[in-house]
Amino acid sequence: MSSQKKVTLFIQCLVDTIYPEVAEAMVQVFRRLGISLTCPTDQTCCGQPAFNSGYRRQAQVAAKHFIEVFEDSELIVCPSGSCVNMVRHHYAELFRNNPQWLQRAQDLAGRTYEFSEYLVDVLGVDDLGARFDGKVTYHDSCHLLRGIGVQKQPRKLLHHISGTDFIEMHNSDYCCGFGGAFSVKYPDISNAMVTDKVKNIIDTGADAVVACDMGCLMNIQGKLSRMGSDIKVMHLAQILAS
Amino acid sequence: MNTASQEEFIHKIKIALGKPLAESQRNVDFFKSDMSDETRGILERIKNRTPEERKKLLATLIEAAGPINLKVISCEDINSVTAAIADLVRDKDPEWGAKKSVVAWQHPLIENLNLPEALSPQDVTVFFTDVKETESGNLRQHVIDSYIGITAADFCMADSATMVMRTRPGQARSVSLVPSIHVAVIELNQIIADLKELYALLKWDPQESKEGLTNCMTFISGPSKTADIEATMVHGAHGPRQVHVYVITS
Amino acid sequence: MAKITTENYVAEAKKAIKNQVLQEALADLQHRFGRGTAECYRQLPEGPDLRLRAHDIRMKDIENLDVVLETLVANIRKNGGHVYFAEDGQAAVNYCLEVAHKHKVRRVVKGKSMVSEEIGLNDALVEAGIDVSETDLGEYIIQLAGETPSHIIAPAIHKTRSEIGSLFADKLDIPYDDDPSRLTWAARKALREKFLAADMGTSGCNIACAETGHITTLSNEGNIRMSTTMPRIHVAFMGMERVAARLEDHDILLRLLCRGAAAQNMATYVSYIGGPRSAGEVDGPQEFHLVVLDNGRSRILADEEFREMLCCIRCAACLNVCPVYAKIGGHSYGYAYSGPVGAVVTPLLVGINRAADLCQGETLCGACQDICPVNIDIPRMLLALRTKLAEGDSAWGVTPADRKEKLLFQAWSWMIRNRRLYDAAVKLAATGQRLFAQKDDMIGRLPPPVHGWTKGRDIKPLAAESFISRWKKSL
Repeated sequence: MSSQKKVTLFIQCLVDTIYPEVAEAMVQVFRRLGISLTCPTDQTCCGQPAFNSGYRRQAQVAAKHFIEVFEDSELIVCPSGSCVNMVRHHYAELFRNNPQWLQRAQDLAGRTYEFSEYLVDVLGVDDLGARFDGKVTYHDSCHLLRGIGVQKQPRKLLHHISGTDFIEMHNSDYCCGFGGAFSVKYPDISNAMVTDKVKNIIDTGADAVVACDMGCLMNIQGKLSRMGSDIKVMHLAQILAS
Repeated sequence: MNTASQEEFIHKIKIALGKPLAESQRNVDFFKSDMSDETRGILERIKNRTPEERKKLLATLIEAAGPINLKVISCEDINSVTAAIADLVRDKDPEWGAKKSVVAWQHPLIENLNLPEALSPQDVTVFFTDVKETESGNLRQHVIDSYIGITAADFCMADSATMVMRTRPGQARSVSLVPSIHVAVIELNQIIADLKELYALLKWDPQESKEGLTNCMTFISGPSKTADIEATMVHGAHGPRQVHVYVITS
Repeated sequence: MAKITTENYVAEAKKAIKNQVLQEALADLQHRFGRGTAECYRQLPEGPDLRLRAHDIRMKDIENLDVVLETLVANIRKNGGHVYFAEDGQAAVNYCLEVAHKHKVRRVVKGKSMVSEEIGLNDALVEAGIDVSETDLGEYIIQLAGETPSHIIAPAIHKTRSEIGSLFADKLDIPYDDDPSRLTWAARKALREKFLAADMGTSGCNIACAETGHITTLSNEGNIRMSTTMPRIHVAFMGMERVAARLEDHDILLRLLCRGAAAQNMATYVSYIGGPRSAGEVDGPQEFHLVVLDNGRSRILADEEFREMLCCIRCAACLNVCPVYAKIGGHSYGYAYSGPVGAVVTPLLVGINRAADLCQGETLCGACQDICPVNIDIPRMLLALRTKLAEGDSAWGVTPADRKEKLLFQAWSWMIRNRRLYDAAVKLAATGQRLFAQKDDMIGRLPPPVHGWTKGRDIKPLAAESFISRWKKSL
């Protein structure tokens, strides 16, 4: 783990504004590994909300800002598979008719990693010496799983947490029903989907549900709370920091 | 009525594809291809298949037939097939009427079964779907009245347990379709591995490609089935409820 | 024309979600076919990546569609078949009626075909005084009930055995029974009479092969074989894109189609039909007609953004993994095509504004692409459709769907490039949220336009201080 590159933190807007403790946990994990960090304080949002709703011009504004802010970074790590998927795959679509920006976007995409992917694939770490006493289950976020192909990495990390009993839930790879604006525009469908997801979580008897994306977890947490469940909702970084 | 001639229709496609209209000749090559090395290998493999390899294919066929409820019975010789069919005729009752009759293809292998003789003690008539029957106008009714239909097949693909039949004079398509029980008789050397082998034969084998696919080639993989009512599997939706394949191994 | 009710997406979805029987049926369907199909791909000798090759094959077919189609129809004509090119659904229906009229057809049996749903063939034949029977068991049930299919492959998935039992008792005049086997056999008996009495049979085409000049039809029940073997006339309807150039390509597509459609290695019946019965043959139809249908497809072909959608071979695998379809069922999509395929194809065929909810009512989870036998990037096209709705598009006749939303995103784009503005906006929202009822640190009710969220869920409030602000201060 020598000669590591400096990590630049790319903080998902949801984490920044609603779940700052997730970013703090990520910082804690990285510091424990002796990684030097930086965090551009001009960053806002990668542009995904606009892109997914079809507002490409507006998404481009966000994407350009993102590229300008992060362009000088050696290596970028984000605690959200969805945001990484946006930068890695959708920026190319966004700038397909703009060769100059496309090149800048692609250069950046090659240096952008999701948190668990960075730990396992880049650093080769799978045991962080964390401890969590209880049963844990894991939800596969769609863009993390199918967008950037991260499935084994979080599980590897979870398996090495001492005191933890890991249980796979039924249909862990099914969408939780978040889908960004979808959850607000189509609340009945979204709610039906998260109801299924939460049932599968409860059926495992888990004390905590872990994922790598606060979009999904915000949705799952909202449903668990409404149902009065005390199952904890944790980002992978939080359980690894514990 | 908004009709479009072929020319207009294709013209519209060309415009949609952004093709210069004079350029279509360029694409004539699209279909031209020489036999690939892979295909050559497949044809060689089929030609040089040893009896052991054929037995292995039979084993594959039997394994694939299980889950789709296709009954594959290997028989030493043609006489044992005749005997087995006679037993089947005795054991099974007609679905639609009381009278037992059987309809069969006009095909050397089927005619060699000597079924009329074998079934006469049971007082079961065997109709053949030959041209004479067609001309008499009775063929369709015989097929409808028969509870067992007996055919040969051109090939049998082992990996999916699929019989392949091409249409020919004397070999009515409805025999494998309308009767409640379909019996097919094949020889061991008619078993091939898979669809790739079949297509290689039909397209590139000098003998087989001459006849081609004919105007109606049919694949049959087991009895008719449906799961349209509460996803419950039921055999015999429209086609035969049972399919028996006799493989002559000698 | 077939009825289009895409505007009812939200209302129909709500109904479906409340229908417990449907919910269980859909979950069961996905569990068996969705997972089963993925397993089938893994067991292919070539492995699941065969899907990628199939995609290339389909794209090549589509990009040479003019030549491929001309080859197909030339071969079919050589074999004695008739070919008609129909620019739209009405032309296709009219041609079929003309053939029926010419041959004094009184009874028609229909082999299962989605394209005939698309063009509303049933109603047109009935209006012309012709007795029409759907013959796929699921479609037959739907026809007797006067409903529309809710799944491309399993049309009657939304009906229970007891509903079907009552329906059959009523329509077929038999004693009530709710055993699926006996109900199937009751339909077998009723439909056998239809098959044997019919003058004309119709079918679709799963995937034709140009170089040999055959359409291919697949079924497990045998209804399509019956419809195309027993009546004296066979009319087949084919979307103009459903053709493979060579047998080598057809091999790959057919194997993937069977796996995608029903997680099986081969459908029970596959028929290759190239023309009417030949001289000396003893049965089969005396006339064979192929109707090649455009009906909006050339417009899709002309737009490179959506051309890929014409690769679709209508296997319905995407329905069997889609988490949205799993909740809302097929009727919500309001047209012949449901699920992820419907969410892209239907707007392109019936109008993007009209089917706006189909473009927007998905989570972009990507399960559809992963299961697609020809690896169609459905999420990419959903996003492209949303862009048309957001910004308007004259080529497709789309007007911006929601001007308020557009203003919102315009404002957002100003805020997003300036962290200070961004912080100010977040702070404002944080102050505003205090007005809303909170329980144990969670908000239970949000104001419009985001009130939908809290219909069934709570939400965590904005943090007192953002991470970036904390980082600046201390970290």
